[in-house]
Amino acid sequence: MQEPTTKPVVEVKNVWKIFGDRAEEAMAAVQNENIGKAEVLERFECVVGVRDVSLDVYAGEVFCIMGLSGSGKSTLVRHINRLIEPTHGNISIDGVDVGGLGPEDLRIMRADKIGMVFQNMALLPHRSVRDNIAFALELRNVDAFTRSELANKVIETVSLQGYGDRMPSELSGGMQQRVGLARALAADPDILLMDEPFSALDPLIRRGLQDEFLALSKTMNKTTLFITHDLDEAIRMGSRIAIMKDGAIVQVGTPEDIVTNPADDYVADFVQGISKLKLVFAHTVMVPVEQYEKENKKLGSLKNCPTAGPEDDLDRLVSLAVDQDNPVVIMDNDAPVGVVTKDALLRAIQGEQ
Amino acid sequence: MTEDTQTPFHDFAGAAGDYYAKTFLKIQKSTLGKAHINIAATIGSFIWASMRGNWLLFWIGFFIDLVALVYIGASYKFKTAAINVADEIVSLTAAGNSAAASNKTLLLERYENWTGSNFLTAIVIFIIGRLVFGWLADRIYYRQYNSWRVDRSKNSNLRVNRLVLSAVIVALIAPLMLYRSTQFAPDARTCIKQDRAVTEGKDVSFKNRFDCKVISDFPTLFWIDRPDKISYPRAEDGTRFVKREPQTGKKPINLHTYTSGVIENVVGYLTAFYGYFFDGVVGVLTVLLNAVTAIFVGTPWPIMMGGLLVLSYYLAGPRIAIFVGSSLVYLALFGFWQTAMETMSLVAAATCVCILFGLPLGVWVGKSDLGRAIVTPILDIMQTIPSFVYLLPAVAFFGIGVVPGILATVIFAMPPMVRLTSLGIQHVPESTKEAALAYGANPRQLLTKVELPLALPSIMAGVNQVVMMSLSMVVVAALIGAGGMGFLVTRALANSNTGKGVLAGIGIALLAMMIDRVVQKASKASQQ
Ligand SMILES: Nc1ncnc2c1ncn2[C@@H]1O[C@H](COP(=O)(O)OP(=O)(O)OP(=O)(O)O)[C@@H](O)[C@H]1O
Ligand SMILES: [Mg+2]
Repeated sequence: MQEPTTKPVVEVKNVWKIFGDRAEEAMAAVQNENIGKAEVLERFECVVGVRDVSLDVYAGEVFCIMGLSGSGKSTLVRHINRLIEPTHGNISIDGVDVGGLGPEDLRIMRADKIGMVFQNMALLPHRSVRDNIAFALELRNVDAFTRSELANKVIETVSLQGYGDRMPSELSGGMQQRVGLARALAADPDILLMDEPFSALDPLIRRGLQDEFLALSKTMNKTTLFITHDLDEAIRMGSRIAIMKDGAIVQVGTPEDIVTNPADDYVADFVQGISKLKLVFAHTVMVPVEQYEKENKKLGSLKNCPTAGPEDDLDRLVSLAVDQDNPVVIMDNDAPVGVVTKDALLRAIQGEQ
Repeated sequence: MTEDTQTPFHDFAGAAGDYYAKTFLKIQKSTLGKAHINIAATIGSFIWASMRGNWLLFWIGFFIDLVALVYIGASYKFKTAAINVADEIVSLTAAGNSAAASNKTLLLERYENWTGSNFLTAIVIFIIGRLVFGWLADRIYYRQYNSWRVDRSKNSNLRVNRLVLSAVIVALIAPLMLYRSTQFAPDARTCIKQDRAVTEGKDVSFKNRFDCKVISDFPTLFWIDRPDKISYPRAEDGTRFVKREPQTGKKPINLHTYTSGVIENVVGYLTAFYGYFFDGVVGVLTVLLNAVTAIFVGTPWPIMMGGLLVLSYYLAGPRIAIFVGSSLVYLALFGFWQTAMETMSLVAAATCVCILFGLPLGVWVGKSDLGRAIVTPILDIMQTIPSFVYLLPAVAFFGIGVVPGILATVIFAMPPMVRLTSLGIQHVPESTKEAALAYGANPRQLLTKVELPLALPSIMAGVNQVVMMSLSMVVVAALIGAGGMGFLVTRALANSNTGKGVLAGIGIALLAMMIDRVVQKASKASQQ
């Protein structure tokens, strides 16, 4: 949750992407006059895809990028393996500037370092599931035997045993998504780019795949950029979330940050109606002991109160509080640090503090 | 019937508003009588149409009257001719030449017949035409009303000033048509003679000159002096050189003859000085053809027949194998075996060459904008040219024989290969290519592992078409000595030997159906 102090794996610095023939002109106008997406389209017939985005993604985290359709999420991640060239700005991976790589180095980086899952899966229809999964290895001229060994291993990882020799068209949408995921995992890349991998699926399958993926990413320790337009999913998956609007990032933070401190109305709109039970923790809603004592009675009289840790979520606080009238006392290292009254608890669930 | 439905009709029609309001309303209610005719239009015809501003009706009416007029003119032409012939008969009989006179009598009868029949045709066309026009008039005029409702600037009302335009059109067309119909047009030879006479300063009447320039074939506008006659003989040391012989003193020629001479000179020059190129092409193709022929013709018939049967069974299943079997038996029984195998080897060789060149070309067209810009218009032109025409350049550069036949076939059959290959390549989804790139594919891997496999169904369809077009062209190429089944047909035609022609024709049809069925099934199977 807290950013590690190591160097980031993926660094995105002031990246702009403007689609169209007059991109340079449009870019200058946007910077000087600060005009919006609609006006750029009208005046320059250019589409602003990404607008001055900077991000750091650290090793091992699942970094969610979230935003409405057309907000530039796919465009942004395509810059990371340089499927799209930025109009301005640069991207580095492990400290290497992606924009400076020659064609051969770029191919090596794509093949070794990065696995990508596409919004529309983009499986190769003329190849079996196994050959699809082994595609990245085949491009690297790994021999056929090793290829199928590795592919079989990944097939098990995504629980597609027995489907290795089927064609993609014989699989359901959810299974195809898993093939896409397996293809990304097969070459054992450090970084996974996942573009709305679960969006097209029904809620049950989606939940299942989300859980599977979370378990996988814990054990395999990959750095993941995960795109979604669904805040629930972002909150479930993400260690951090970036919210995009019209190509720009409006807020980056932990799920709790986003939910408790929306940066603007746009984010607030998103966050509204999201259940806070699992997202908000005791330390955010508690009142410090001194303040509580000032306003109410001595803490001493609260001997029979239930206790919880500062990292416990609202859900747990609620279960503690239901059976009695006393407030919950938050203990840190065996010392009381704060108090959560029932009123405060109810407010917090409602989303106000 | 409210005022509202009436006014637009009146606004549109102007004069005779009541009549048109009533008629249009009937049309809208579908109660217009089947035989309803507009009397004014029937009488006024194109004059009425032009005043109403309906140019479609104007042209229909004008055309009907013009045809009737031309028949009247023809009738007049034969009548005057009949009178002339009658005069001649009188003078011939007077001179005692009764044989010539009786000949002329036959001609006279014919002219008199034609006078009557043309006149009758004119009357019939005029009456029926006018009735049809009258019947069409309100129905078409109603459409004009409808488009006028949408766009008020369209013609409406009855306007006399529109007659000016129609008068101009009639004046430009009718007199000349009428004149042409009353005259026997001079033939091209007469006109060429006349041209010479004019250049030599002889006296030619205005009427004759006018007839030649206007109502005969398109006149020769100018005459050109003959160019030097060029040949490319060998010198003592064996090298070729250009020999020019001036053609002064000969009669001048027209543009057509001049240009064709120039083309011949160019082709002659190319074959004389770049002969090694053409020889090389011939050499390579001959090697290929020999190899293929060795398989088809060199294999003894029992093995070949069995092989073809087994092959078609595997590629296309039992039903088509039975069909292939019976077709082969037909070919064998009627003595076409060897010839059919020759044709097959021609088709096979041509198909190989088409694929060899068409596939890479198709890939280039599919992947590069430049390729598309260059090749697509050429393909468009190639596909509109009739197969026959391809024989000409082949003969010009390679002479007569099997190799030029194959070359013409290749050129004729190549376009679908290029087109369908490029289509297949272009239709590979962008997202699939992107995925391959994202996993580090280089351009060659992208082509061989993604684009070509995905384009395969389209490519196979291209191969199928190439095979069929090759077969049809190989038959035509028999005209320039490509041999095979086509030769049998050409020979039968030349000797007007109907029976043999029919047998060979059936043989070709069976051969084509056989190949088509098998290739189609096979390419369909490969797509799954
Ligand atoms: N190749 C392109 N050419 C022109 N405009 C593009 C191109 N690709 C994307 N865009 C534009 O960039 C903007 C962002 O598109 P992007 O695909 O990144 O959206 P997204 O956030 O991924 O949306 P979704 O959730 O629908 O996938 C859109 O307005 C889109 O029209
Ligand atoms: Mg997207």
